[in-house]
Parts: sequence; C-alpha cells; structure tokens
Amino acid sequence: FYAEAAPIQKVQDDTKTLIKTIVTRINDISHTRSVSSRQRVTGLDFIPGLHPILSLSRMDQTLAIYQQILTSLPSGNVLQISNDLENLRDLLHLLASSNSCPFPRTRSLKTLEGLDDALEASL
Amino acid sequence: FIYVITAFNLAYPSTPWRFKLFCMPPNTTYDFLLPAGIPKNTSNLNGYYEPLLEAKFNSSGTYYSNLTSKTTFHCCIWSEENENCSVQADNIEGKAFVSTVNSLVFQQIGANWNIQCWMKEDLELFICYIEPLFNSSFKNYDLKVHLLYVLPEVLAESPLVPQKGSFQLVQCNCSAHKCCECHVSVPAAKLNCTLSMYLKITSGGVVFQSPLMSVQPITIVKPDPPLGLHMEITDSGDLKISWSSSTLVPFQLQYEVKYSENSTSMREADEIVSATSLLIDSVLPGSSYEVQVRGKRLDGPGIWSDWSNPLIFTTQDVIYFPPKILTSVGSNVSFHCIYKNGNKIVSSKNIVWWMNLAEKIPESQYNIVGDRVSKVTLPSLNATRLRGKFAYDAVYCCKEHECHHRYAELYVVDVNINILCETDGYLTKMTCRWSTKAIQSLAGSTLQLRYHRSSLYCSDVPSIHTTSEPKDCHLQRDGFYECIFQPIFLLSGYTMWIRINHSLGSLDSPPTCVVPDSMVKPLPPSSVKAEITAKIGLLKISWKKPIFPENNLQFQIRYGLNGKEIQWKMYEVYDAKSKSVSLPVPDLCAVYVAQVRCKRLDGLGYWSNWSTPAYTVVMDVKVPIKGPEFWRIIHEDSTKKERNVTLLWKPLMKNDSLCRVRRYVVKHHTARNGTWSEDVGNHTKFTFQWTEQTHTVTVLAVNSIGASFANFNLTLSWPMSKVNIVQSLNAYPLNSSCVILSWMLSLSDYNLIYFILEWKILNEDNEIKWRKIPSSVKRYYIHDHFIPIEKYQFSLYPIFMEGVGKPKIINSFTQDDIEKHQADAGLYVIVPIIISSLTLLLGALLILHQRMKKLFWDDVPNPKNCSWAQGLNFQKPETFEHLFIKHTESVTFGPLLLEPETISEDISVDTSWKNKDEKVQTALVPLLLATADLEKGSICINDQRNSASFSEAGSTKITCEDEGRRQPSVKYATLLCNSKSSAIDDEQGLINSSVSKCFSSKNSPSKDSLSNSSWEIETQTFFMLSDQHPNIISPHLTFSEELDKLLTLEGNFSEENNDEKSVYYLGVTSMKKESSVFLTDESGVLCPFPAHCLFTDIRILQDSCSHLVENNFNLGTSGQKTFVSYMPQFQTCSIQTQKIMENKMCDLT
Repeated sequence: FYAEAAPIQKVQDDTKTLIKTIVTRINDISHTRSVSSRQRVTGLDFIPGLHPILSLSRMDQTLAIYQQILTSLPSGNVLQISNDLENLRDLLHLLASSNSCPFPRTRSLKTLEGLDDALEASL
Repeated sequence: FIYVITAFNLAYPSTPWRFKLFCMPPNTTYDFLLPAGIPKNTSNLNGYYEPLLEAKFNSSGTYYSNLTSKTTFHCCIWSEENENCSVQADNIEGKAFVSTVNSLVFQQIGANWNIQCWMKEDLELFICYIEPLFNSSFKNYDLKVHLLYVLPEVLAESPLVPQKGSFQLVQCNCSAHKCCECHVSVPAAKLNCTLSMYLKITSGGVVFQSPLMSVQPITIVKPDPPLGLHMEITDSGDLKISWSSSTLVPFQLQYEVKYSENSTSMREADEIVSATSLLIDSVLPGSSYEVQVRGKRLDGPGIWSDWSNPLIFTTQDVIYFPPKILTSVGSNVSFHCIYKNGNKIVSSKNIVWWMNLAEKIPESQYNIVGDRVSKVTLPSLNATRLRGKFAYDAVYCCKEHECHHRYAELYVVDVNINILCETDGYLTKMTCRWSTKAIQSLAGSTLQLRYHRSSLYCSDVPSIHTTSEPKDCHLQRDGFYECIFQPIFLLSGYTMWIRINHSLGSLDSPPTCVVPDSMVKPLPPSSVKAEITAKIGLLKISWKKPIFPENNLQFQIRYGLNGKEIQWKMYEVYDAKSKSVSLPVPDLCAVYVAQVRCKRLDGLGYWSNWSTPAYTVVMDVKVPIKGPEFWRIIHEDSTKKERNVTLLWKPLMKNDSLCRVRRYVVKHHTARNGTWSEDVGNHTKFTFQWTEQTHTVTVLAVNSIGASFANFNLTLSWPMSKVNIVQSLNAYPLNSSCVILSWMLSLSDYNLIYFILEWKILNEDNEIKWRKIPSSVKRYYIHDHFIPIEKYQFSLYPIFMEGVGKPKIINSFTQDDIEKHQADAGLYVIVPIIISSLTLLLGALLILHQRMKKLFWDDVPNPKNCSWAQGLNFQKPETFEHLFIKHTESVTFGPLLLEPETISEDISVDTSWKNKDEKVQTALVPLLLATADLEKGSICINDQRNSASFSEAGSTKITCEDEGRRQPSVKYATLLCNSKSSAIDDEQGLINSSVSKCFSSKNSPSKDSLSNSSWEIETQTFFMLSDQHPNIISPHLTFSEELDKLLTLEGNFSEENNDEKSVYYLGVTSMKKESSVFLTDESGVLCPFPAHCLFTDIRILQDSCSHLVENNFNLGTSGQKTFVSYMPQFQTCSIQTQKIMENKMCDLT
C-alpha cells in the first residue's frame, strides 16, 4: 500500500465508485444472460448472504468468497470483476488500517476450502 | 570417505568414489565373506586363463549363469589411496600377499575396471561410472553391468548385512566405448542412510563380482564444476577471478582455483578458497591468465567436482578497466587505465585522458589509484551521438603526448522513454504506449517493458522494484510499442519502466507509475440529440452519460451551423447530473450540428472522443417575427371612379418567418365595412378595389405556429395623397450599380412614419422596384443594376400615419459635375440626341416662323382703319425719313394699347439689317431732327417694317417723351430672342454694358431728382430678332451733354435681370461724340430669352400703370402669364404712375 499517499476521503470515494462500477458490471452481465428474476435458483446456499452486522473483516471474508466464486465461474468476463473485488478488499484493508483496526487478510479460511468442493459440485 | 565395515567383517572395505576393480583368475582363491544370500565362491576353476576363457566363451556362459556351479573371478578393489589391493583388508597375510603380487599379476592377467561412484549435485541421483581398463589382456565381450544395492529404511539398520533378496538390481547403461553408467535414485530422506551395493559385471560369459561396498550418499556428493567463470580487473588494478556458486547444493563449498600467468615470466598458483572469487594482485599488462576452478563440500566429506573449463584472460599493453561501459544519460562513470610502454609501466601521474582523440579530458577529473592505475571520472554524461558505425565514445589513456591505439568504449544511451497509458471506456483494459523514436537506439539491444503492481495506488516517487514482470509489447505502424493490460486492477499502481538489455549490461528507463482509474478515456456520451425548442427558440442538446466511469463527469459541447467547414462553438458543462443544455443561436431556421464529449470532473484521465454528430431539423419555432413589408401600385380607372390597388411584398426571409411561411393574410380595415381578412395563400401579390376614402391594409405572415404579431400597415387615403412634404429629390448615379438619392423635406403637421422609394425605368411599367426607408434618412443609396442609357423614374412617397402622401417624382438623374465626369460614355449617346433635337427645334421654329408671320400680319390693322397708317403704302415703303415726317405731322399722339393675347411661345423675327444699314442711317437723320424739334411734345414713334414684303425683322422702337420733362429720358429696350445666344458671348458682353448704360440713363433722373420725380416717360421697346447679328439703330433724341451724362452714369441695376431673365435692354454701343447724330452701327442685342421673361415685360407695359407698379415687384420671381406682343407699341403713362414706377424700380435696385 501507499496508504500515506492517499487521503482517507479519496479512499472512501474510490471505494464508493468501485462498488458502483462492480454493480454496473454485474448488472451488465446479468442483462446479457437475461435470467428471469422470477426464477429462484436453489442449491447455492454456500454463497453467503448479507450479514446483519457487517464489520470490515466480515466484509472482507464475504468478498473473498465472492471472489472465489467468480474465479470459479466458467465465464471469462468475470475476471475483471474478480480484480475489482481484489481492489475493493485492498481498499477495505486500507480503510481499516487508517482507522487503526487492521485485520488479517482472508487467505485460506476453512469456508473457502470447503467452498471449492461445493463449487465443483454445483457447477 | 571410506566406510569400512569392521564389526562383522561383512562389507568389503573399499574406496567408493574412485577405485579400480581387479579381478583374478580362480587359482588364486580367496575366501570372500559374502552375505548369507550370496553363495560362496566355492567352485574351483583351474586353468582359467585368458585363451581358455576366450575358447569356452559360449559354453561357459550358460554354465556361469548357474549360481550353484558358478565360476566367479575374485575381484579386489584397488584405490589410489590404498596402493595395495584390499581384497583382504582384515587379513594381514592376504594383504601382504596381494600387495606383493597384485600390481604385476592383476594388470597382466586380470580384468580391470576403473569405477567411480558419487552423488549428483541435486542430491537425487547416485551414479557409478565403470570404465574398463583396456591395457589388460582380457577382452570384453557382451559386457553387461549390474549394480545391486540396498537402501535400508532405517538408519540404524545400515550396519547389518542385507539379506539376499533385499538387493535391488539396476541395469547400467553401457555405451559403445564399454563405459557404463549406473543410476540409482536416492530419495532425499535417505541421503544419510548407508547404501550397500556391489557390482556384477558379465563379460564373455564370465561374471566378475565386486566385493560388497557400503556408502552414505551424502558423503560422496560431487558438485558440478563451477559456472560463470569470469575475470576482470578491479579498480585497484588487481585481477579478480569470479564464478557462480551452485544453488542446488545444500552446503557450502570450497573451491580450488588453478591459474597461471603467462607474461614475461610464468607464474602458477593453486589456491583453495571458500568464496566465489579470488583476487590476484597486480595484474600485468600484456599478459595472459588461464584459470580453472573446481568445488567440493567445505565441511564434511565430499568429492571434488570436475575442473571447470579453462578461461583465458589476456591483457593488452594498455589495460582499460572496465573496457566498455554502457550507461544512461546523466550518470557518472569512471575508467581506469594501466599503461605499459615497452616493458615499463607508465606511472599513473603521467597519464592523461583524451576523449575521441579530439578532446582532452580536464585533469581535474583524474584520480590516481596507486602507482600504476589512473582513473578518470566523466560526470553527467550526454547521449552518445552516432558517428558512422561507431555508437560509442572512445576514451583514450595516453602518456603525455603519446597515445596507444587501444581505447575504452563508452556507450551513453538516453533512456528517458515516456510511457503513456490509457484505460478504455469499459474500464477493463489499459493500453500503454511508448516510443523509442526520441532516443538513440543501441545496436544489439533489446527493449522490454517491465512493471510492478502495487495493490493500491502509486508511491509519490516511483522506484524500480526488484520483483518485476515483463510485459509483451508490440510495435505498431506509427513506431510506438503498445502493451495491453487486461484485465486490470483499477486502483492498483502499475510502476513501469523500459529495460534496455545489451551485452554490456542493462539499463532501466526512469519508472513511471500509473493507476488505471486515473487514466480513463471514457466512452463518448450516447443518445446525443439536438433540436431547436419550439416557442422558446433555443438550441437544446441532450445526451446520456456513458455507463463508465461511475465518477462524476464534465461535458463539453461543440455546435455550429452545418456545412462544409463548421465553425464550432464550445460550451462546457460542469454539472455531472445535467443531461441537456439549451443554448441561444442566432439563426433558428438553420440546421445545426452538435457533438458532446466527456471527461472526469476531477480532471483525471482524458477527454472522450466526440459523440456522433446530432443534427437539428428545421421546423417552425415561433410565429413569424413580423409581417412582410409591402407596397402598392394603384391602377386608376378613369372611366369608373374606382381604383385597383395591387399590394406587392417580398417573401419573408427565414429569419423572420421562423421558419416557413405557409400563407399570407391581407387584413383590410375601412370605416364603413370594418375589418375583414383575405387569405392570399403563398402569393406575394394581391389586388383589391379601393372604393372608400380611407382604406387600411395589413399583410400578415402565417406559419404553423400562428400569425405574425408585428405587421406593417398601409393606409390609403384620398386626402392624404395630396399632402406634399418632399421639396426636392435628387438622384445622382455613382455607377451602374449605385445611385444616391437625396431629398429635402418641408415641415408638415402629419406624422411621418417612413418613406417608400420607388424606381423604375421610365415608360416601362413592368418592373417597379421599391424600398422602405426610415423617416430620418435624408440620403439613400440604391444598389441596383442601372442601365446608363435608360431613363429612370424615382418616386419618393412619404408615408404618414394617416396615409400615403404625395410623391415627389423625378424622371432623370440630376445633372452634376460628378455625372459629367463619370458619365462620359453616356455623352456619346446624349450629344447626338441633343443635336438632333436641336435640329428639330430649329426646324420647328422655322415653320413656326412662317406660321407666325401669317398670324402676325393677319391681324395687322388695316391701314384704312388705322389712323396713322392711312396714306402709307405698306407694299412699297418710302424712306424712313419720309415715313416719320409724315407721321409727325399727320398723326396725333395717342396711346396705342394692345390687348394681350396668348400665342405660341417662340416668336422670331428675322432681320437682315446689314443690307439696310445705309438706308437706316439716312432715315435716322430726319428722325432725330424731328425729335429734336419736337422737344416739347411727346412723340411716339412707331416704326415698323413690313416684313412680309422684305422678309426682314421689323424693329420697333418707342420713344416716349414728356413735354414737361427737363431731362428727357429715352429708354430703348430691346429684347432679342436668339436661340444661339451662347455662341456670341462677346457680343453679349457688349450688350450688357450698353444696357447698363441705358439703364443708368434711365435711373439717373431718379437718383438725381427723386423728390420731384419727373420721370414721365417710360418706354419699352421690344425687338424680337432671330438674326445672328441684329443691328439696332437706336436713335437718341438727346443732346450731347445729355449723352455725356448718360455715358458717365453707371448703374448696376440691370445686371441681375440680365442674367436671370436674359432680358437685355439695348444701349448704345458706339457713339460719336463729335457729331450730333448718334449712330450705332453695331448696337445689337442678342437675347436668348425665355418666352415668359419677355411676356412679363410686355404685360407690364400693357397693364395700367398702377398695375405695372405692382407687378414690377414680381419681375424677377414670377412669370405666370404668358403674353406676347407682336406689335410695336408704346404707351405713355401718367406722370404719377411713372413716378411710382420709378420709385419702385429704385427700390428694387
């Protein structure tokens, strides 16, 4: 990180913009796939939902799972989104460390290890 | 390291890494202590000699294969360390025996092999290399080598003798040269275990079996020979030998360096070092050094590696170190030099440095390193310029003025390569471009973009990171290298630099760091639309922002009138949320084109491309700004009492109609009928009847929005058409395309709104042109195509609030000097016209003259009825003398008043006086005498000639004289009509003077004696002559002194009248004082008079005297009535009236 170089306001702005960008990208993909919103897809329970109490580290974990799911998807278009998620997680870490509460990076959680099997099974 | 098993005497002591295997014939039998599984060599084969072995090769092959009856050679291991064959290491006797016998016997009759075993550097492979010694007499046939080994699982078991079945067999690869290599892979975990092995060599049916050997693999690791052997001269002038260490070996190595120096004297050395370099001090110029290195485990058992390939390093007489330097612009470099001149090394103090043998390097940059080494430092280097093939600067080390031809090479490369990156509009791809155009490319160098990505953002000062990745870049047509990063990390910092790789080294360009997010070139805004808003009339441009980036954007709009070359106007929008903008434009009825582009509001990144152009559609925006200006043509029908009025207007321009007029509506208003409208459609002409006194019309323009509000009214009014306020109107042509009109106005009570100027070719009604002119304008330029030969009619209509006034019309251009100068061309046309018209006029005059004569003399009083004419024979006139005398006697004086009568304008009476000169003179004498005699009486002499018979002009003179006059005054007035007056100016001048004299004579009494005012006689005589040289004899009935007075008196009275009215009063031009008779030979008067001037005077005479007085005031100004006198006449006025008249005359003067 070059955290010192980036003022916190810029980090926050970039985080917001990046989230918007990711959302736009995902919307763009879902538009092209045109999956009906009425259809419910089951069997994807391994994807974590929104947790009511979101801490930065919790967010990071969730994002890590999302990232792993994305990289496991067969489509090549999601690679950019995965990169964006990576950047987003970096930003979260930067925000946390700027608030003097750094958390360890989510690298190899057990949930992630189990996720590979679940993904393989579901895909 | 030899691992000797002594505890159980099981394993044969051996030198495992390098030894000789000697095998003996069976008669020399030794008891081998073999493992339990291996059968003892119990069989005895006698007479096994070499020839026998050869003979029984085939049969014994099968035989030997049977282990039970196997014939095995006794082999012993002879190593370098142990000179004696150690067959029975534990048996002192055997040892002694072997030692005495072996060296001879084994080499002569036995089969011998060189065997070498080691662990490879990677610690995975155990290799035994078997090489037959061919100096033995034993021939190798069908050589097969097997290695049997045991690697026990546990380290503790290693001393135990392995069981027979636990041996693993490895077939060794034998090459054509009978060299065999046996490979045993050793797991990393068992490197410290004891490997038990023995070799079985089958050759020619004979089995040679080596004794059992045991070894720990880790102890016999043999490294690869050191690589990257390199020699260089250090800054201090020492030779540095360096090599690279192996990275695979897990332990430190020691190295043995073997070198030899071959200069004037040989020097050899063998040193063992633990470092990977060795310094040999004081390198000598003109020498060669040969170096070899090998390595071995530093602490613990190991095997020396093979020697590396020898490296030879030769030094020249002048040693530069480094000999070549590749560096980047701006850096500092240093060269060292040792100079050997002949056999003597030059002292470093005497060394000077030159650059390219052209430029001496300043001594301040020298450094002395010891006695022999000189150093030069070159600071802040500039890029090397290519000089032909040479891409370097040559640095010379010289001894004062003597330089060796060898030089050091200095390559300075400009590495300031700019890398520009751009992120695409979808934020998925970053394209970086860089060019080597700006820098001098170095031959043999390759360029590579390397980058390092930090997870977030860039550091303030980008630096070259140790871990970097190369990026493939492709040369484009424009000479740029293009590298594409896809996908990208939007917020990561990519630190990039260009690495220039060359055989002399590598250089890095200054690194740059970019964050893709800040290099975005967005997609252009989409859905750009442009329209002119209805009713408001603004150019509205709308757009949609691109989906990316999500940052706030600023927009730039350019718009302009559509055409070949669009003059763009720019407009900038800094509100990220705005989606449209309305701009005022001058022309609402034109097609505009607009484009939009965007950029991040915070200024980062690039402008997007311009969007696809959007065009406006021309449609009605508002109601027309105004109705058309219009004018009327009135066609009067004289038979009926009505007028047809045709309204004309020009089609409304786009700017006024906003944008297309659909139809025109004419609105009428009259007092009687009120208001009504008529739809004209798209025509620009409309005719209606004007019946009422006042009729107001308005023309409205209607488009799809509605009708125009501001319209022009035109009121046609009978009474107003009489109002005239334009005093004068002048037209001056400037050239064929421009005419200036100027006018004068008189004051009026009416409210003048504007003028309408109308012009057309005279007598051609077809094309009337008109223009509206503001009321304040006094001069106007008409730009039109005027044909010089045509006559134009210009009419200026004042338009009042109450209606159209009376126009001022002129039919031609005002004559002016300007016109004369500029219309020379027209002169050639006009002059003939004038001449021809003059000729016509002359002809007409002549005809008229004839007619007039008839008319004239028809009314001549019959002599029988005329008192004074009785007795006169008009057909044959007598002499004047006779005529006059007769008259004076017989005729009583009386006024002869003639009634005025209107006749034609031109009257001419021709005379040919010259022929009568003599006659007249003679006739005058008695006349003069007579008048002198008749001083007391008033005499009116009317002399006339009958021109009918003579075809001569009749001259009439009237002399009025009052008896009571003390100063009788005679006034002769001659009016002469001559159309060619201008041709005889000299005569005119003469006449003028004479006239003035004449008048002075008339005026003198009034001046002298105004009080008594004895002016009684007023005589006016009219001569109407058309001859060129009319000579008028003016008889004067005055005395010489009177004449003197007349001559001396000067009066200016008649000057003005002469000029303006061209009425000339006759005077005496040449008078002879000596004689009492005044005769004027050439006193003629030419009068180019306008008819009315003449007639005015006549009228004065004919009116009563009081009337005359009144009219005298108007002499100069008005000539309304036209009278003609065709008779010589005279009249007398009463004294009173004469006086009054005289007073008035004086007043006039």
